[in-house]
Amino acid sequence: MVGLNKYWPAMVFPALILVAGIYIFPAIQTLLFSFGRVDVVTFSVSHYVGLDNYVRAFQDPRFLDATLRTLYFGVVTVGMGILISFPIAVLLTHKFVGRSIVRVSVLLPWAVPQVVAGVMWEQMFHAEIGMVNSILRHLGIISRNVIWLGDATLALHVVMLAVVWRIIPFITLFLLAALQTIPHQLYEAADIDGANGWRRFRFITLPLTMPVLIPTALIQFVWTLKVFGEIFVLTGGGPSWGTTTLNYLVYRESFEFFRLDRGSAIAYVLLLLTLFVVLLGALARRFVSVDRTARRQRV
Amino acid sequence: MSSHRLVRRVMTVGKYLAAITVVVVMLFPIYNIFLTSVQRQADVRGRDLNLFPTYIILDHYQEVMRPGHIVPIVEATRNSFILSVSASLLSMALAAMAAYAITRLKFRGKQGILMGLTAVYMLPAILFVIPLFVWVVQLDIVDTFISLIVPYAAFMTPFMIWILKSFFEKVPADLEAAACIDGCCLRKLIFRVLLPLSIPGLVATFIFGFILSWNEFLTPLVFTSADFPILTVALGLYKGTVDIQIGQQAAAAFLALLPVILLTLVFQRMIIGGLLAGSEK
Repeated sequence: MVGLNKYWPAMVFPALILVAGIYIFPAIQTLLFSFGRVDVVTFSVSHYVGLDNYVRAFQDPRFLDATLRTLYFGVVTVGMGILISFPIAVLLTHKFVGRSIVRVSVLLPWAVPQVVAGVMWEQMFHAEIGMVNSILRHLGIISRNVIWLGDATLALHVVMLAVVWRIIPFITLFLLAALQTIPHQLYEAADIDGANGWRRFRFITLPLTMPVLIPTALIQFVWTLKVFGEIFVLTGGGPSWGTTTLNYLVYRESFEFFRLDRGSAIAYVLLLLTLFVVLLGALARRFVSVDRTARRQRV
Repeated sequence: MSSHRLVRRVMTVGKYLAAITVVVVMLFPIYNIFLTSVQRQADVRGRDLNLFPTYIILDHYQEVMRPGHIVPIVEATRNSFILSVSASLLSMALAAMAAYAITRLKFRGKQGILMGLTAVYMLPAILFVIPLFVWVVQLDIVDTFISLIVPYAAFMTPFMIWILKSFFEKVPADLEAAACIDGCCLRKLIFRVLLPLSIPGLVATFIFGFILSWNEFLTPLVFTSADFPILTVALGLYKGTVDIQIGQQAAAAFLALLPVILLTLVFQRMIIGGLLAGSEK
């Protein structure tokens, strides 16, 4: 719109100022906190201590455990999410009666608030009233109730399951969108060549969904780094820090113990981890799209 | 029957079995809290597996909505509703202007702005919540709407700009050009041409904003006290109270879930389109 061109600052800046005010300035403040001692009463930096908060964090086994746990949490959750979503997406490419019911049931968990998801899974895995114990008991798999949330390893996996459930919609939608762009002729040609199901998947479906799958997986990984509500409700980070991810550790340091300086330092480590994954995504994207263009040219 | 037809039959049966499994598994946790919320506590706690209700009672809902209940559901719902509507409207207005300028106007730095917005959207909220909490305390605006509306709006603005941008790209620029040639003034251009054409995009953005704000938990948990109940926070903290009533917890959770479930059911196509548009870049 030529006539409007001169107004662009008035249209763009309000949004940018809001975003900068709530994202950028606080991020700088957090950085300052991470290099100082933050007074618990005034919440201001009393003096700067350089990298001391970072050094302390790296000397703290809780931090190191939380870092490894976060990576495990993210990788396994996203991996499981993809493994479950892929067949659902393939199913949704077929036409059948009730497909829209399947689609909306798969979409619904996306809208569920993390806290509500936490309550749902807490009730599912509740030691006494939980449906999971009840079903396992009736199938004769267990004879006594399992206290799922009382054991650190079990609890961590219950939280992961809750998150898998909530990320399936997003992954499925993106995979479905990718699957729908695959030309039918490719499969028909594969049929003529006598390719079986696995080979069709390996040589047509998988490579052609990769350009969507990789960024989706990385976005989901970044999201699982931020999981908060499920952990808060299901375990509160326990038992004995066993389900505390980096994000949750920042919360506990900052708002349970009010060590804003330590919390800020860990938040920055989490930020670096996030940026690393985002960067990886950007690289993968370039790599994959170049690969695709090359293939198109060959054809 | 030829073997080919047999294979097709088996495939069809398999397809429906798979479809039923998916629906049951995805909906089961939601069904489970609904079930708990309409059953007597004694039956939920019982040793028998009760997958289907033989009766429905609304006692837990009545109890949890009673004034003076430890979970102030009614007040929290009202606050969450006001918050979600205001934050979405604020963000929508700012994002619409920015997205329109980015789609249609010529200026330098567009790509930089878009990339910056995407990057900050990926960052963990806790990074911003720490200093924002300090500022909220120092400005003495704890337990106010404004202390939550502004961060909520800011958090979702990058996403909204992406969605609206994808909608504006679909509106033909020629229409606007034609309006201009006809000597249509700026106000007419905005209210006669732009707004009517962008209504689907604006509705989608509003729905997204509402759901995202409604579901927000970390920010209100840190910024508010018990004097200013927010639905997700009230529900999240219910667990910590003594002698938790499992049926009432389920009822509260279901009430917190109901608005977003209804919105998702009604606007599912819009949501799917928005999700794909908002993050494919």
